[in-house]
Amino acid sequence: MKILYVDDEPDNLVGFKASLRLDYQILTAVNIPQAISCLDNHPEIKVVFCDQRMPGKTGVDFFEDIRISHPLPVRILLTAYTDVEAIIEAINRGNIFRYVKKPWTEADVISAIEEANKFYMANSMLSVKNDELQRAYDELNKFAYSVSHDIRGPLSGILGAINLAREIDDVEEMKEMLYLMQKSVKKLDTYVLSMHDYYSLQRGELKITEIDFNEIIDELKAIYDVHSKINKVAFKVNVKQDEIFRNDQAPLRLVLNNLLSNAFKYQEKDSKNKSVDLSVDVHNNVATIYVKDTGIGILGSHVGEIFNLFYRSNSLEVGSGFGLYNVKSALLKLNGQIEVNSVLHKGTTFKVTIPSI
Amino acid sequence: MNMEFSFIVIDDSELDCFLARKVIELTEKGVVTRIFQNAQNALDAIAENPVEKGKQPTIILLDIQMPEFNGFQFVEEFEKFPLEVKENYIIIILSILSSARNQNDIYRLLTHGTVNSIIEKPLTRDKLFSFLQQVKPTI
Repeated sequence: MKILYVDDEPDNLVGFKASLRLDYQILTAVNIPQAISCLDNHPEIKVVFCDQRMPGKTGVDFFEDIRISHPLPVRILLTAYTDVEAIIEAINRGNIFRYVKKPWTEADVISAIEEANKFYMANSMLSVKNDELQRAYDELNKFAYSVSHDIRGPLSGILGAINLAREIDDVEEMKEMLYLMQKSVKKLDTYVLSMHDYYSLQRGELKITEIDFNEIIDELKAIYDVHSKINKVAFKVNVKQDEIFRNDQAPLRLVLNNLLSNAFKYQEKDSKNKSVDLSVDVHNNVATIYVKDTGIGILGSHVGEIFNLFYRSNSLEVGSGFGLYNVKSALLKLNGQIEVNSVLHKGTTFKVTIPSI
Repeated sequence: MNMEFSFIVIDDSELDCFLARKVIELTEKGVVTRIFQNAQNALDAIAENPVEKGKQPTIILLDIQMPEFNGFQFVEEFEKFPLEVKENYIIIILSILSSARNQNDIYRLLTHGTVNSIIEKPLTRDKLFSFLQQVKPTI
């Protein structure tokens, strides 16, 4: 814990440092400019002691300045003069936390430091919580917006279709409309499921288990082989795991599932050679996963945004804008990294690395 | 006097495009309706082949919330066309009106000369019919 002590008498500085150096890291300054530059260079300073009688400025003046420029360190005034005016000023202008009388005793100073530290911690916790709240609030805002589009949008379409159904006599036309209605309902359902993923990623705790990639990939292969056959997309899988790998299985599955589902979804419709390649290599406690497709690719200017909540770069396919955001959140939980490489109309490759825990 | 229009529907949702086409067919027999699921493509098509002067104006049913190129961007770009192109089109905003966040932005679109009115989704025959009643005498 770093503490700054400002006093124009070098003897006092030496004495202060000598008695407290074992418990704390003491920085000293003999004048105000030196004190300010010390605060600039050591933003982690938690407590500032300052003598009231300094040449040029008083301790109160100094505190009044740093209250604005360096608000985090807790301010404690040291003085031999106990006139009421100085005390009032110190409290009102300097907004000090404590007032320690000179000559000080070690017990006084240590108790002041310990109390100041608690105060400092409480303040920083408050600001961390505030940031968290602000982030949650921003996401809620995006949520409200997304709910109107991604839930009310399909609903209004379905409602319109029901209204129209009364006027359609042609069975083929009715079937076509039912098919489109079904797609809208599925989209809604996917949205709700992703919202559930989103929620559990934000809240849940880590559940570390041993992971057998062969087992996970076999399950995924069974699911995606169906897509592969129906949409004529070649699906190649390659898993190499000779060592034990430990991490949380649920977010890992989410990552693989989202990347694979995107790889199949965003294929070039009329292309002859459609393929999705999945490879997993576990080596030196790191799993390296590649998901490579021959799809539509991502525009260079959009790549930076694809991991943002509710971002969609493509209008042709139904997407909620949750998928890659959830992937990113899941990787944060797994302590993993993701890189993307994409060429428009050629394909996209995602590279994911996840450490074994 | 023949008062039929032709229509352009711009909406990223397949179902909404289908609905718009059906509602138009049922309301105005025998009209030409072109569907675009991507607003940029619609804009390009209009730029390449604008409606000729003196012909029936084209009504553009425009969705607002679309990925990549949304309705706001479409109106902004459309406004850049020369007047002799713009005056042959009537834009109707077709949108869900729920989020307070962009409701004001949507109403602000009415300040553009090309944007005639706003219809809340889903489109029905009644809504389209009353709109057509309202614009027909002005042409």
